[in-house]
Amino acid sequence: MSWVKSVSVVSEDVFEEDGSDIILQNKEWNNNMSKRVKDGYRDGVDAGKDASLQRGFNVGYREGVEKMVAVGQLKGILSALQCWCQLQHPGSPAFSSISHLLQDVSRHEDRVIERMKMNVGQQPPASVGEITEAVEDLQMEHSDTGCGGGGCSKDNCCRKEQTPEEGPTALQTPCQSTTHPTFSAEESVEPLLKRCMDLVVELGLPEELLHNLQQLRSL
Amino acid sequence: MNSETGSEDPFDCIFMADNRYHCEAYKEGLAEGTRQGLLEGMSHGRMHGARFSTEMSFYYGFACAWKCLLQNNTDAKSRKRLRTLEALAVHIQAFPHNDPQHATLQQEVEKVRAKFRQVCSMMNVPADFREYVTVAAGVSF
Repeated sequence: MSWVKSVSVVSEDVFEEDGSDIILQNKEWNNNMSKRVKDGYRDGVDAGKDASLQRGFNVGYREGVEKMVAVGQLKGILSALQCWCQLQHPGSPAFSSISHLLQDVSRHEDRVIERMKMNVGQQPPASVGEITEAVEDLQMEHSDTGCGGGGCSKDNCCRKEQTPEEGPTALQTPCQSTTHPTFSAEESVEPLLKRCMDLVVELGLPEELLHNLQQLRSL
Repeated sequence: MNSETGSEDPFDCIFMADNRYHCEAYKEGLAEGTRQGLLEGMSHGRMHGARFSTEMSFYYGFACAWKCLLQNNTDAKSRKRLRTLEALAVHIQAFPHNDPQHATLQQEVEKVRAKFRQVCSMMNVPADFREYVTVAAGVSF
């Protein structure tokens, strides 16, 4: 808060008197201004959070949905195959092959979810593009409202437009310093899809199933 | 403080300083709050989206696989099952999955769950897949 330090200099220029009263007044002035700065900062943080939480949630939600589509469908397909196998060919070796693969898919799913849980409360990975887009939208909203909401009484005092790069630049910092664990190779669903396709071929199951699994690869 | 213009009454600087400091700090806080809000929101949104998608995609994959397995059966029972499976698949795709603020999201999800239970009952399979997949604790359907 560099501007707080300038207060004492300014007040010396204005009150050209000496004596202990000045020192006391300076102290009081500094305390008051410091309190105003703290209040302003806190109000700003609250307002910023209120305005951006939902938008951030929506962006993250989309990301989470996309991430789990393939593994979720694969698990559904294998569960159906397992049920079918149990009903049609009870006790066949195919049942245990399907069960093993299903367990591996479930473990994979659990790992991905666990990793996401660990990221909650930490600085999560995020795509710069999505955050930039979200911030640009927010800036448009803020330029309409200013710091309003009871914070400022003087017209236009907070309505100066932020420089376009101000928000995104601030937001890029955590992204640059964070790796992207949600997209690491070990979490790839591809080997599991491959195993499932091999199994479908081995069991002589309908061609359409292979087609469905093939589509999951592109998700 | 009005260094940009330098022409205003210096006492204005004092009288307005209160406001000025508050607003400068507010702007700084706003940027930080926006950053924090986005990151926190994204973390939580990601979890919720993942859970939702895991469940809906499971149902969809389940319905599609059964459709493939039964497609060549011509008996009345299988035809009826196929129609129910088709209805489940269509219903899952009938609403947007990536919009957590969709007006009827909760109702749609409940409908899909009910349809899935109906499908399971028709197929004579248990609807609770935790019995099948013991390691899938924590992901409950």
